[in-house]
Amino acid sequence: MEYVNPLTGFRVDGRRPNEMRQLKGEVGVVARADGSALFEMGNTRVIAAVYGPREVQNKGQQVNSKDALVRCEYRMADFSTGDRRRKPKGDRRSTEISLVIRQTMEASILTHLMPRSQIDIFVQVLQADGGTRAACINAATLALADAGIPMRDIVTSCSAGYLCSTPLLDLNYIEDSAGGPDVTVGFLTKMDKVTLLQMDAKLPMDTFETVMDLAIEGCKAIANYIREVLLENTRRLECQRG
Amino acid sequence: MDHDGGEVVTPGELLGNSSLLAGLGAYADGRCVRASITGHRRLVPPPPGSTDQRSTVEVVGHKAHGAVPQPGSVVIARVTKVMARMASADIMCVDSKAVKEKFTGMIRQQDVRATEIDKVDMFQSYRPGDIVRALVLSLGDARAYYLSTAQNELGVVSAQSITGGTLVPISWTEMQCELTGQIEQRKVAKVE
Repeated sequence: MEYVNPLTGFRVDGRRPNEMRQLKGEVGVVARADGSALFEMGNTRVIAAVYGPREVQNKGQQVNSKDALVRCEYRMADFSTGDRRRKPKGDRRSTEISLVIRQTMEASILTHLMPRSQIDIFVQVLQADGGTRAACINAATLALADAGIPMRDIVTSCSAGYLCSTPLLDLNYIEDSAGGPDVTVGFLTKMDKVTLLQMDAKLPMDTFETVMDLAIEGCKAIANYIREVLLENTRRLECQRG
Repeated sequence: MDHDGGEVVTPGELLGNSSLLAGLGAYADGRCVRASITGHRRLVPPPPGSTDQRSTVEVVGHKAHGAVPQPGSVVIARVTKVMARMASADIMCVDSKAVKEKFTGMIRQQDVRATEIDKVDMFQSYRPGDIVRALVLSLGDARAYYLSTAQNELGVVSAQSITGGTLVPISWTEMQCELTGQIEQRKVAKVE
């Protein structure tokens, strides 16, 4: 199948190879949570809720009492994919993604400031169209920032792939299921550091670097957008306060 | 509070270099100071007489977090359980601020009063349901904060007698029931 039109250079959904899907972010969507966010990347739509820092509920999970315990739960709604199917809780895929999100967020949260406390992050995929991993990390970042939890930097994530000898930014579901390489990068923009790098295929070194650079550019664009959302939200709160 | 002074910053944004100190909502990363929360940036001049002449930069966020007991803070707690060597209490207020979630504290036998600490009888000092003012000694063990009432101003501030009447303090060890006139033993706080 042709994923990039050889004549026009456009992708299956009409994007250019280095074009991202439309982003949309909204904070404060869950009233009960300390921080929450809704994040959309095209048709991928994710909701995240953050509770905490609060006292550790299960003392057995506390490994190091000098740092905050970060917990993460990833779930896909039954209606998020094309075929409606009940998915068991805690299958391999969601356990793995929960772990990835937890590790990525832990790298940016200043856990040493909140000893003996825990932070819970719940992410739920409402609509899946490829790149859920990246969208979940972005939603979690936005929710943590909304909760006012101290972070080193805003960590953002974006995926990139390589199909029809073209590096493609932000793969959608059709491109994702093509079986080509899928590089997901988590990036701290202001500190210029990579916190997450995943790839489920083989890729020559030089190609890999161009694909990764493309993903990093995507991360930077998302970070700019997230900052705008946060600033806009702060201004709105200020107006309400008067 | 002055919110409108500074610009709005987001986590990771550069606030300055090592000529500034990192305050609340900011952190030092090698040579630079960066923001750790979203909020307004504010500069605080150094306190007069300090050796460090650098200003502190802090970020004031818009989310108010609940009060958390710190060592040295005075808390108001309700006694839940009295045992032979200690009493446990639920912390309700930290320095006149109500807490949002439950924190448990523990008053050990040696922390009840300042004198004759080996002769303390826990049952003659507290009863379940008493409201006590206490000082946080330390973060304690994994379960509870360690509290102390070994000062004149610390101890029971409000209590009910067995019959349900309000107890009125008559000395630093005794309280009297309003209804029956019965005297009960407590470690009473000297309230101004």
